[in-house]
Amino acid sequence: MQGMLSPYIDGRLSPLEREKIESHIEGCEACRWELESLEATVNLLQRVAMASPPRSFALAEVAPKRRPAAFGTLRVATAVAVLVLAFLFLGDALHLFEGGLIGERLAQQVTPMPGEVLDMGGAPPEGEGYAWPLRQLELALLGVVVVLGGATAILWQRRRRGGEKALKG
Amino acid sequence: MCPMEEDELIQGTKQGDLDCFNRLVERYQREVYNLCLRMLGNAPAAEDATQDAFLSAFRGIGKFRGGSFRAWLFRIAANACRDQLRLLRRRPATSLDSLPLELEFEQRAPSPEDHALRQELGEEIKRALAGLPPDQRLAVILRDIEGLDYEEIAQATASSLGTVKSRLSRGRARLRDHLGQYRELFL
Repeated sequence: MQGMLSPYIDGRLSPLEREKIESHIEGCEACRWELESLEATVNLLQRVAMASPPRSFALAEVAPKRRPAAFGTLRVATAVAVLVLAFLFLGDALHLFEGGLIGERLAQQVTPMPGEVLDMGGAPPEGEGYAWPLRQLELALLGVVVVLGGATAILWQRRRRGGEKALKG
Repeated sequence: MCPMEEDELIQGTKQGDLDCFNRLVERYQREVYNLCLRMLGNAPAAEDATQDAFLSAFRGIGKFRGGSFRAWLFRIAANACRDQLRLLRRRPATSLDSLPLELEFEQRAPSPEDHALRQELGEEIKRALAGLPPDQRLAVILRDIEGLDYEEIAQATASSLGTVKSRLSRGRARLRDHLGQYRELFL
């Protein structure tokens, strides 16, 4: 009987079950008290006032931040890679690394680790006998620039399209 | 401009439109925050749970396959509350809440004495809710404070109608027993 009182309060019993409860309660003081006290508890809970949210939970400030951050980092990384690559090309073209101060210093820095130089280069350098694998470096950097630049361009495109969609809303 | 119909707002959100989702946030944040507040009995934790719930809802909107959106949202909020409860249990000192639970009566505090008694009763309801097993507490809050029907509660708690019925029944009886000493105030 007790398990039926709560659904009775919510009107979730069949007419037959309702009738059974109502006729039982007429003669049973304990069950009548049980029902009344449960009803009072439910009424009390229904009086619990809704608290006002302390702030808005809109996501406007959270979500859009992520893309510009990735976009900005990629853009800077691409710019740095392009600058380094330009420096290497320029140095190569002007034969800056073959002799003189830069060449000697680089050679000194690199010679203590010949194993590593060979590992990085794979095949022996095809160039004009640099002490370090300039060509491979240039090619690797070129690859980095293409990948970074591509990713930046894709992000930029998406951002533009996203912006257009938001405007159309 | 965003549409106003809930179905259209959900569709817009599924296409990644944050403005549409924020319309839904505006519509439901009060209910979700109150669910979290009553489940956790702690205002800062309720704030965190509410924010987590809306973030999860936005990310998981693709998994919403119709039915009651409110119940779907409440289910996510209940999960967020479970995570916060775990955190609160690890830091029991922070589980005290200074936010009072207010009750709405037709007559507004007839005497200072009654006012004080009502405040006391509010605190007692908070304590009684905190003393319930989480499953019963969730069912009672959803039914009696948030006003969901049994079907929505079943969806929000991923359980059967029979389970909803028995959790409500046991939860209400337990609350009644806890509040027994204040009987003269509400009986």
